[in-house]
Amino acid sequence: MSDPMIALTLLGVLITLLALGVWVAVSLSIVGLVGLVFFSNAPSGLIIATTFWGHSHSWVLTALPLFILMGEILLRSRMSDDMFTGLVPWLSRAPGRLLHVNIFGCAIFAAVSGSSAATAATIGRMSVPELTKRGYPESLILGTLAGSATLGLLIPPSIILIVYGVATGQSIARLFIAGLLPGLMLISLFAGYVALRAWMDPDLIPPIDRSYSFKEKIVASRRLVPVALLIGGVIGSIYGGLASPTDAAALGVVLATLLAWASGSFSWALFGAAVMSATRTSCMIALILLGAAFLSVSMGFTGLPRNLAAWISDMRLSVTALLVALTIFFIVLGCFLDCISVIVLTTSIIIPMVTAVGIDPLWFGNYLVIVVEMSQITPPVGFNLFVIQGLTGINILRIAKAAFPFFLLLLLGVLLICVFPQIVTYLPDLMAN
Amino acid sequence: MGRTLQKLYDICGALAGGLIICICLLISTQIILNATGRLSPGLLPSTIPTYAGFSGFMLAGATFLALAHTLRAGGHIRVNLVTARLPDRPRTYLEGLVLIIATILVGYVTWFMIGLVAESVHYGDVSHGIIPIAYGSRKAYAPLALACCWWQSCIHLSTWFWLASRSYPRQMRYNHV
Repeated sequence: MSDPMIALTLLGVLITLLALGVWVAVSLSIVGLVGLVFFSNAPSGLIIATTFWGHSHSWVLTALPLFILMGEILLRSRMSDDMFTGLVPWLSRAPGRLLHVNIFGCAIFAAVSGSSAATAATIGRMSVPELTKRGYPESLILGTLAGSATLGLLIPPSIILIVYGVATGQSIARLFIAGLLPGLMLISLFAGYVALRAWMDPDLIPPIDRSYSFKEKIVASRRLVPVALLIGGVIGSIYGGLASPTDAAALGVVLATLLAWASGSFSWALFGAAVMSATRTSCMIALILLGAAFLSVSMGFTGLPRNLAAWISDMRLSVTALLVALTIFFIVLGCFLDCISVIVLTTSIIIPMVTAVGIDPLWFGNYLVIVVEMSQITPPVGFNLFVIQGLTGINILRIAKAAFPFFLLLLLGVLLICVFPQIVTYLPDLMAN
Repeated sequence: MGRTLQKLYDICGALAGGLIICICLLISTQIILNATGRLSPGLLPSTIPTYAGFSGFMLAGATFLALAHTLRAGGHIRVNLVTARLPDRPRTYLEGLVLIIATILVGYVTWFMIGLVAESVHYGDVSHGIIPIAYGSRKAYAPLALACCWWQSCIHLSTWFWLASRSYPRQMRYNHV
């Protein structure tokens, strides 16, 4: 069989399995097996066993359960209440007023948690009822929440970047640091959009109910200070080269636990629930990574990615054309698959192709994360939409419509990092020197 | 039978959680040792030998031990875009098919994993690092192979559940973090 036929067959098997509802990790492994058994002459059983074992105990991957646990602990502490009361006094005079609570609340929570769904749930639980009560327009409440929660994927510590780094062999520390500036860029895009809407249509935003003195602001946000220290400590120690991401994650868990105990309303039962939830999530992701690792090895035996890469470079496709094609491909894929699956599928097939045309894998990781962020807010499968639907009971299509401007803003973000790749590479380069 | 197995899965899940806490404590201890090493060298030993290796093995243990528990809790991701739109009866049959596919794959992996362990025992393989860990010993491979077996039996059990009660597909919701 020719290469394109093999590729189409394997893709067909994968789509069928996924559509049947077979678990993603199992589907990936089966496609890998099909590739090995039918299109190579390697011993499939031995390879699957050694790949599963070999990829399950890496030091780098150890950061994954720890960062998930850190987020789970803070999720169960008083943080979401503190976030709202702490941010309101500072933002009540900004154009767009309290809508910015969603954006900055999500950004701060994103910096302690690596998951966008957890970010949407934590911030939304407090902000949606409060903002609705004060008369803010529904479309903007839902839109800012859905859009900003996607920051959880990009702002370090990011689970997705760990997955990408482990799967492609990139340095997690460099990926994390590279995610900082694009994260800030997206925050400014979101905040700028809200300010613009408020400025164009002043009646949209309810008036200020009260003004705060500087002292009141400080008092109101005093509980946010420990969280800010935690974020600074975790990111700073990675950036300064004091700790590897795994070390920083372990320290983050200990500090988050102390913080949660100190703030009161935290118990052994909640701690246990956080640990078990983190265990399940990390088990799920690790299993998908194992399936993906096996698929990569299998694809290596079939020689498919290599030939595909050669084919792409033979076409003399410009980098721009390739990126446009990939972006469209990922947006379509992201409509139907969750972000982790998109990333692991990419790493086994597309990375050789991308490096063949000379794209920096570090930059590509951040590009990929912003593109899959879009997939979080596109129907029919968009996890932020699911979470917000669960939170508010509002129809998923109405939420998707409210989130659409933020989808476009993310697209603008992708365009910006394509035109100015320094946004991604500046800080890691600085760190290297 | 079902209840006993569920208990087994939950115990393994709890063990996995315990391993994650152990990883965290191990690494934190190492960080404290690093810090004291800088402040007053020689007061405490500077490293825990092979701590990266140990945390890696604990991670593998946590992943494999939690498999069955996560499956029962609906924690593994799958796409329910098509299946959610099917009427109850075809969906139930499809669910059975999916379980059979998954059971075969897990059985296959488990079989070859056991082979790998047997090979490690036979040749007396040890890991790299200051403290060599025998791959054949219980420390490294056993949790893996055992958990795979449990996972498989769990799927078998679920298949049985599915045959016994129609409410099964509703229990296996599509969950995500």
